[in-house]
Amino acid sequence: MEASIGRRSSPTQPKWRKVAYGGMQPGFQDNHTDESFLEDMIMNASVVKRDLLKVMLDSVSISQYVCIVALVVLVWTYTLRSSFNENSLMLLDIILLGAGFFVFLLTAEMLSFDLLLSYVLKIFFFITGVYFLSPIYHTLTRSISSDSIWALTASLLVLHLFLHNYSGSTVKAPGALENPTFTSNISLNASIVASLLIASRLPSRLHVFAIVLFSLQVFLFAPLVSYCIKKCSFRLHLCFSFGLMAATLFFVYRLHGLLFVLLSGILVFVNLLGPYWLIRIQEYKFEINGPWDEAKLCFNITE
Amino acid sequence: MSKQEKHRILMVSDFFYPNFGGVENHIYYLSQCLINLGHKVVVMTHAYQNRSGVRYMTGGLKVYYVPWKPFLMQNTLPTFYGTLPIVRTILIREKISLVHGHQAFSTLCHEALMHARTMGYKVVFTDHSLYGFGDVGSIHMNKVLQFTLADVTQAICVSHTSKENTVLRSGLPPEKVFVIPNAVDTAMFKPAPERLSNREIVIIVISRLVYRKGADLLVEVIPEVCRLHPNVRFIIGGDGPKRVRLEEMREKHSLQDRVDMLGAVPHAKVQSVLITGHIFLNSSLTEAFCIAILEAASCGLLTVSTRVGGVPEVLPDDMVVLAEPDPNDMVQAITRAIHILPRIDPQEMHTRMKTLYNWHDVARRTEIVYDRALRCSSQNLLERLSRYLPCGSWAGKLFCLVMIIDFLFWRLLQLWQPDRNIEVVPDIHLTNHMQDKTARDSNMYEHLR
Repeated sequence: MEASIGRRSSPTQPKWRKVAYGGMQPGFQDNHTDESFLEDMIMNASVVKRDLLKVMLDSVSISQYVCIVALVVLVWTYTLRSSFNENSLMLLDIILLGAGFFVFLLTAEMLSFDLLLSYVLKIFFFITGVYFLSPIYHTLTRSISSDSIWALTASLLVLHLFLHNYSGSTVKAPGALENPTFTSNISLNASIVASLLIASRLPSRLHVFAIVLFSLQVFLFAPLVSYCIKKCSFRLHLCFSFGLMAATLFFVYRLHGLLFVLLSGILVFVNLLGPYWLIRIQEYKFEINGPWDEAKLCFNITE
Repeated sequence: MSKQEKHRILMVSDFFYPNFGGVENHIYYLSQCLINLGHKVVVMTHAYQNRSGVRYMTGGLKVYYVPWKPFLMQNTLPTFYGTLPIVRTILIREKISLVHGHQAFSTLCHEALMHARTMGYKVVFTDHSLYGFGDVGSIHMNKVLQFTLADVTQAICVSHTSKENTVLRSGLPPEKVFVIPNAVDTAMFKPAPERLSNREIVIIVISRLVYRKGADLLVEVIPEVCRLHPNVRFIIGGDGPKRVRLEEMREKHSLQDRVDMLGAVPHAKVQSVLITGHIFLNSSLTEAFCIAILEAASCGLLTVSTRVGGVPEVLPDDMVVLAEPDPNDMVQAITRAIHILPRIDPQEMHTRMKTLYNWHDVARRTEIVYDRALRCSSQNLLERLSRYLPCGSWAGKLFCLVMIIDFLFWRLLQLWQPDRNIEVVPDIHLTNHMQDKTARDSNMYEHLR
C-alpha cells in the first residue's frame, strides 16, 4: 500500500513520478518536493580518515626538503661573502655528485652496464653544457641592482617551496609511475632561475660554474635521491631526514640567530602544528556526489 | 480564481538569437508563447557583432541588444554597477512588472537580477545546466549563484535532477523551485513523409564535438558497432575540437563509406538531417535536459542515450534506450535499439510527442510561477540584507556591502535622472491574439530560416 500522508484527499490520485514529460502532474504543483528528493545524493564517498601519526611521518619529507633548500641558501651566502673559494666549491660538487650517484646506484633495482654508461654520458654532457654557458651567466645581471636580485631570489625560492611536488620527483626516476605535474615544473623552473640569479653576482667564471653546478645538482637530483631512499627503506629515510634537519639547524645557528629561530619555527609548524590542524578541519569536509555529476570516462584517451 | 492579469516580463540572458542553443531557443519559444497568452515580453541581451540596438521579432517581441561586446564565452564583462543605468531605463520605459533571468553562467543575468531586486521588482531565475561541486570553477560559480538566489522570488529548473543540483548549490528551500521542462517545436520537427527502409540502419549523431558531449565515447563505440552490425551507417553532424579524433578513427578502421562527417549543421537544417536516420545517438557525459533527444523523438527516431543527469526523465521508457557512459554498455544498447526498431512507427512517435511536450503548456506553467512571484510581499532593504548574511562568514558581509552600494547608486541615479523624466513606451499591439494557435506554431520559426 502506498504511503497515505498526502493521499487522503483522493484515493485514486496517481503517484508523483520523477519525469519531465506529460505536462503538469495531476494533483501536484510544479514545486512539489517528493520524499525521494535528494535520495540519490552520496556524501563524502572518497574521504579518507587520516591518522595523526601517519600524517606527521609523511610531513617529514616536507621538512627534509626545506632543510635541503636552507643548506643551499647557506652555501650561496657563504660564497657571496667569499668565505668559500672556488676550489672548495668544486670539491663540494664532486662529493655531492659522487654521493648522490652512489645512493642512486645502491637503491636502483635494475643495473646494467648500458644504463650506467648512459647515465655517465648524460652527466658528462650536463657538466660540459654548464661549463660552456657559465660566461653568459657571469654577466647576466650586471645592470640590475643587488636589492632586486635578493628580492627576486627570495620570492622565487618561496614559490619553489610552495609548488614543489613533495611526494615524488619532477625528474622521473626509472620505474616511477606518474608524469610530472604542471606545478612541479613551475617550481623546478623557479629554483633554476633563482640559482642563476645568484650565480651572476659572483666574481669569477669558475665561481659561477661551481655554484651553478652545485645548485642544479641539488635542485634537480636531490628530490630524486630522497625518493630513492624513501622507496628503499622508510627508516633510512627518517634517519636521513632527522640527521639533515639537525645539521641544518646547527649551521644556520652559526650563521644568524634570528634565521635559526625562523627555521625551527617553520619545522615545528610543518611537522607538528600542520598535521594537527589538517586533521581538525577534516571534519568539515563535505563532498557531494549524485546523478548530476559529469560522468567519468573509464578508459584513457590516447591521442 | 482571481482575475488573470497580464504581466510585463523582461527576459535577461547573455544567450539569445542570433546564436542557437538550448537556452536561446528556450527564451525565444517561451517568449512567443507568453505573448500568445496576452503578456508583454521584452528581451535584453548583449550585442552580437554589429547586431546592436532595439530589434523586433515575430509577434512583437522587442529585443534590446545592449551595445556591449561579449568578452569570454559569450558573456559580457562583469562590471557590478555598470549595468544599473541601462537596466533601470529599460525597466521604467517598458513598465516591466517582473524580471526573468536565464542561465547561471550568464553574467548579464546575475547583474540584471541584482539591480532588479534593488529597485524592488520581483525576479524569477531559470537554471539550465548542471554543475559540480569540487573544482575551482564550480566553487566560484556556486558562490555567485548563492548570491543571486539568496533573494530571488521564485526559481525554475528544467528537470528534477537539475532541481536537486540547484537546491544543493544555492541553499534555496526546495519549495521555491519549480520544475518546468523545456519543450520542442513539433511543427518544425516532423518525421519523413515516407518511412525509411530498414535494410540499412542509419544512426545519427548531432552534437558539438567536445569532451563534455562524449565525443571520446563515440570514438570507441562507432568502430565496434560497425564491426558487429554490417548494415549500420553513421552520420555525424557538428564540429568541435574532437572532430580530429573522429576523423582519425574513421581512417584507422577504414570506415569512410560507413561514417559520414557533415561538419557544422545550421539549426534550420537539423530536421532534414534527422529524417534520414532511424536511430539518434546521444553520448553526452552530463546534461540537465537534452533538447536534442526531443527533436529526434519528434522526428520519429528511436533514441539511444547515456544515463546521465536529467536524461532518464526526458522520454518514456519505450522511446529511449539508456546505457551507462561506458563503450561496451553503449554498444549493447545500440544492439537492443536495432532489435526494437521494426516496432517503431515514426508518425505515431511524433503524435505522441505532441501530447508529451508543448511550449504552450510550458508557458502556462511559467505563468503560474509568475503569478505566485507577484503575489509575494515586497521587502525593504534591511529585510533583504538579512537574507544575504547567512551565505557565509565573509561572503555574507561582502554580499551585503555590494547590495548597499547598489542601493546607494540607484538612489543617486534617481536624483540625477528622475523616474518621471524617462519616457515610457506606449503599448503597440503588433499581433492579433485571437489568431489560430496552430498556424502561429508553424510560423514561429519561419522567419529565422
